[in-house]
Amino acid sequence: MSHFQGIEVAAEVVRAAQAGEPRAHEAIYRACRRPIYTLIRRLVVRTAIADELFQETFVEVLRNIGAYTGEGAFGGWVRSIAVSKCLMYLRSPWHRSLLYLDSDDESTAPVVLLDGASHPDAQALASADVERALAMLPALTRSVVWLHDVEGYTHAEIGRLLGRTASFSKSQLARAHARMRELLEQPAGSTSCTHVSSTC
Amino acid sequence: MHARIEHLLSIRDDEPVAAEVAEHVRECPICSAELQRLGALREEMRALPPIDSPEIDWERIRETAPERNHGIRLRKLGLAAAAVAAVTLTVITVVAGHFDRRRAPASGLAKVEAPLPQIVPRVAELVAQSQQLEELLQKLPERPRIERVSTAATLDTIEQRIQWLDFQLSNAPETDLTEEQSRQLWRERVELMDSLVKVRYAEAGALWF
Repeated sequence: MSHFQGIEVAAEVVRAAQAGEPRAHEAIYRACRRPIYTLIRRLVVRTAIADELFQETFVEVLRNIGAYTGEGAFGGWVRSIAVSKCLMYLRSPWHRSLLYLDSDDESTAPVVLLDGASHPDAQALASADVERALAMLPALTRSVVWLHDVEGYTHAEIGRLLGRTASFSKSQLARAHARMRELLEQPAGSTSCTHVSSTC
Repeated sequence: MHARIEHLLSIRDDEPVAAEVAEHVRECPICSAELQRLGALREEMRALPPIDSPEIDWERIRETAPERNHGIRLRKLGLAAAAVAAVTLTVITVVAGHFDRRRAPASGLAKVEAPLPQIVPRVAELVAQSQQLEELLQKLPERPRIERVSTAATLDTIEQRIQWLDFQLSNAPETDLTEEQSRQLWRERVELMDSLVKVRYAEAGALWF
């Protein structure tokens, strides 16, 4: 499996958590929450749903921490649970129906996630464009491009996660890049200001 | 003729492409620039800043985990187990009947004196079945916003079980799983997907009539 930077949890903390030590559980939560939430928000744009998946991920981590064998990075194990939760959500017709209920929530629109004040102007603008383009991709396409290009998953891994083939993942990646190219060539103001119907 | 985006992505990701395509990309300024753009975009995505997590009360998460373990979960598991057992029996019956028919002579006068050989599907066949069930599931109407608690609990548990299988299948590289282990996981996935489709189908049917 691929790398996952940003999560560092000492082996003794993991062992203590497996033994049921509440402070170790909390330490894991504190160490993982930012990278895991970032990952979830990249796959699932809608804030309310991302928050729910974030909480579910940590509930799942606590419930199954005994199953972590120590093989591979602990961060990668947590990440796999988060990715699995997100993809399950994106594939589920039940969860897609929640989009309707969410439609009045302003926070569900694809938004620019950057904190402009903390970045130099040019870089912030470029990053905002990339964020905007990503947010406008269809949900599964966005998941494929993010998992492959950023998280380092292989096409075979993505295909398996989606219950599809490696070829499906490859074609989605090509489609994503073709679409992102179009979007990045458009000025930001030219896109619709309404919710993006196909994103989640 | 310029290189297609699929080829450029393969080159960017160090995957094999036809020699003539690679040579063209090396020599063509337009394709080279596009390749560079794809690489730069990947770097820009990787450099996007992290997003702060919401202020979710840690105590709430900690309290939820055991609650789900001991309370509702047992009931859910019972319901799911019943559904899975019923559907598994159906699947076994259908699959056995299917192979039995395929093996029977055209005259239909099959002699079943010798025991039937054990049918062991290949992993690829199970993956294909799983994909077919996924597609079938996508075609079913959305779940109603109000549904029976028992149905919701059953569906939730089946989905969680599938999720856990997906996690196991994706977390262990193929080299770490034996053929038999991989087959068992995929077989279980097919059975659970089958259950999910059947429960969803029954639920949709109840709404129609």
